[in-house]
Amino acid sequence: METAKMASPKSAPKDAQVMAQILKDMGITEYEPRVINQMLEFAYRYVTTILEDAKIYSSHAKKTSVDADDVRLAIQCRTDQSFTSPPPRDFLLDIARQKNQTPLPLIKPYSGPRLPPDRYCLTAPNYRLKSLQKKVSSSAGRITVPRLSVGAVSSRPSTPTLGTPSAQTVSVSTKVGTPVSLTGQRFTVQIPSSQAAVKSATPTTPTVQNVLINPSLIGPKNILITTNMVSSQNTASESNTLKRKHEDDDDYDNL
Amino acid sequence: DRQTLVAVLQFLRRSNLRESEEILRREARLLGDDLGSAALSPTGTGLRGAAGGDADAATGEALLNRVTAAATIAIGGNAAAVASSSPGVTAVAAVPPGKVGGAVVVEDQPDVSAVLSAYNQQGDPTLYEEYYSSLKHFIECSLDCHRAELSQLFYPLFVHMYLELVYNQHESEAKSFFERFHGDQECYYQDDLRVLSSLTKKEHMKGNETMLDFRTSKFVLRISRDSYQLLKRHLQEKQNNQIWNIVQEHLYIDIFDGMPRSKQQIDAMVGSLAGEAKREANKAKVFFGLLKEPEFDVPLDDEDEEGENEEGKPKKKKPKKDSVGSKSKKQDPNAPPQNRIPLPELKDSDKLDKVMNMKEAARRVRLGPECLPSICFYTFLNAYQGLTAVDITDDSSMIVGGFADSTVRVWSVTPKKLRSVKTAADLSLIDKESDDVLERIMDEKTASELKILYGHSGPVYGTSFSPDRNYLLSCSEDGTVRLWSLQTFTCLVGYKGHNYPVWDTQFSPYGYYFVSGGHDRVARLWATDHYQPLRIFAGHLADVTCTRFHPNSNYIATGSADRTVRLWDVLNGNCVRIFTGHKGPIHSLAFSPNGRFLATGATDGRVLLWDIGHGLMVGELKGHTDTIYALRFSRDGEILASGSMDNTVRLWDAVKAFEDLETDDFTTATGHINLPENSQDLLLGTYMTKSTPVVHLHFTRRNLLLAAGAYSSQ
Repeated sequence: METAKMASPKSAPKDAQVMAQILKDMGITEYEPRVINQMLEFAYRYVTTILEDAKIYSSHAKKTSVDADDVRLAIQCRTDQSFTSPPPRDFLLDIARQKNQTPLPLIKPYSGPRLPPDRYCLTAPNYRLKSLQKKVSSSAGRITVPRLSVGAVSSRPSTPTLGTPSAQTVSVSTKVGTPVSLTGQRFTVQIPSSQAAVKSATPTTPTVQNVLINPSLIGPKNILITTNMVSSQNTASESNTLKRKHEDDDDYDNL
Repeated sequence: DRQTLVAVLQFLRRSNLRESEEILRREARLLGDDLGSAALSPTGTGLRGAAGGDADAATGEALLNRVTAAATIAIGGNAAAVASSSPGVTAVAAVPPGKVGGAVVVEDQPDVSAVLSAYNQQGDPTLYEEYYSSLKHFIECSLDCHRAELSQLFYPLFVHMYLELVYNQHESEAKSFFERFHGDQECYYQDDLRVLSSLTKKEHMKGNETMLDFRTSKFVLRISRDSYQLLKRHLQEKQNNQIWNIVQEHLYIDIFDGMPRSKQQIDAMVGSLAGEAKREANKAKVFFGLLKEPEFDVPLDDEDEEGENEEGKPKKKKPKKDSVGSKSKKQDPNAPPQNRIPLPELKDSDKLDKVMNMKEAARRVRLGPECLPSICFYTFLNAYQGLTAVDITDDSSMIVGGFADSTVRVWSVTPKKLRSVKTAADLSLIDKESDDVLERIMDEKTASELKILYGHSGPVYGTSFSPDRNYLLSCSEDGTVRLWSLQTFTCLVGYKGHNYPVWDTQFSPYGYYFVSGGHDRVARLWATDHYQPLRIFAGHLADVTCTRFHPNSNYIATGSADRTVRLWDVLNGNCVRIFTGHKGPIHSLAFSPNGRFLATGATDGRVLLWDIGHGLMVGELKGHTDTIYALRFSRDGEILASGSMDNTVRLWDAVKAFEDLETDDFTTATGHINLPENSQDLLLGTYMTKSTPVVHLHFTRRNLLLAAGAYSSQ
């Protein structure tokens, strides 16, 4: 960015010239040209805010016109709001004295990465996966899975027909969701689950508990598979409701 | 008594307390026209102090308090109307009868009033100019040897008198006072004077924290006894008590016995916002020695010098080769005890690192005036003036840049790319017992030369690698300091404490602790496993712009915009040294590797060298023409490299600068310094870049100098 060229008196409006002069008086000699625009913008915004506030105060006090006291009050209130300044020195010295009295804490040896308690760190996962069960009908298009042969009760979803493996790290909740389906006849296929904790959705070790297949969607369309990691096995209920029985976070199988 | 009553009535009338005024007047049976007395102070809120002794003042005070009580009840807490007489009224008794003394302080807000009530006395505003010029005349006519010292008075007196006029709302007098005398001040105060010229009303003063601090903290002047006697005699014999009052209130005169200082000596030391440092501020004992390195077996190479098991630390220098037979089992008296502050224990990886360090040290080039280092410059292109911070790891393997677009970018300097650690599932698959497990945990798929870290919400002003290269710190204008992991390249913690921009941060040389300094005028010491700071170092009058650890991690140096450098003790948070002398905000600090000396660089283009043990300035290196942003000593302390905004890197002979120091008792006692004008002799080389200001300097373990900066096209 070039250093500021003083706007030629012919072309710059008077306000801009005044602002350039102010900058010069305060000793600022090098600045990008847009600084003047920003300063003018700020000055205009600040003054209008103050004057509007002052008008409100003056009308509240039932005065006929805005006077200096109103403006002073407006400035005072706005200053506390918008422009905070660092704490005063005696306050800082006071808290410093308090803080510095406690001795330095001893360091525990061999404690791995020394980080604050987890609530103060940013290391927790910042996402949560939603369950798909209640949204089977509406989210028919959400998960697209190529054909799954219905009869293959024991087919593991790891067969290539199931689609692409996901590459995400998925955290799995341990609650069980009641598989809910909406229309028509449904099959519930139960596949014995493995007890291994699924930390990452690798394509080789899925744990699939319940496979709900909506036959109306079979074919070139979509099939929803929900996987739960539970020890007990669920039977499908015949509920027609969309109501979710549990709040749970199911993970998606590698698709 | 009559005069007091008249004054009180006048005050009441002006404050629109009609009822109280009527009551009082009726009680005193005075007539209205008595009140137009011209003898009263011309200010609206002046309470005329009694011409006599304390008794009058006391009654005046009592009367006023009674009236005040009535007034507050009547008005019910009008924000601006609470008035009380100040304790300074009693001091008015010393004022000769003809003068008008004492003033009523209008307390607006409790915290500010405590500060502003420093202006509880005022003289006749029209006479201020006369006082000042008479003092000026006196000083100019005094003997040469005293004149330099007494001239130190001009600046603080000027500022305080100006601020008194402004505070007591004599705008026109303040303005003419300023116009007349501001040109007389020293050139290095011009920036302050410019700020001062913008303070024309009382309301302006309230918002400016730095100015408020300036008023409450006493400006320190160091004057020899003879000069002081002269001054005192003059001020007390003339009726210039206003100046004497100011001197007593706002100036702290540190008297020393001895020869008055010359102008040159004084000029070297002044410049800070609060004058110089008091002598006792620099008297505490500082353990500037280095900590002993721990013993461990060094794998033997063919070099026999490395066969030592323990590295003894000789007092002065730290050359790795001289691990001499005198394994100094004795504690270095200047070194802190090993357990003075808790330090993290040495892990195996740290030991390996130390071994590498020693091996590299053996191959290190010995630098000197005949053997200058080669300089390798890393230029950041296309940064569009956004490069705000740079750091390089100790083994020179990674370089990090903090940018104004709030990103932090890490590059690998060596051909080895940056990799992040594998995911947890993959990690469970590797063979933990294999020798190269540290390689196996790395995920090759993520290898890249550059990693960008997003997280801050403002320009990143400071970055620092941890000594074990596992963590990276960055501090930003958003008020947080973030800790990033260099193994996963994600953000681990955000330390919130400064609520204002943080200008600098640095890890301790042993890891675990780090220091940060910001706009709130304090520096904070943190540990990575505490979400709140462990120590708060408060005392600077303006922003803390630069923070550095001492090599033994027991002390922290902070440079500030108030033009002082302070050395703080980590153990108890005390300020153990105050170094004044720079004429601009300080932007770079460097400790010498032996821990004895500190080099500081500021916007005035000078590098100042300080002896920490004695607390004195021992050298001044002139040559740069613009702000010095980077200072670094070579690995063995023989060369000091400085990089500046004037696009140059300069090398200075540190050995010569620190030899033959005159630190006899006289110097230490009086703080007289005699700086040799040897900048030219000490300058070993000036290296110019085309148009790249130098932002960072780093000596590799083999004494190759790396420099970094962003190309700027203008």
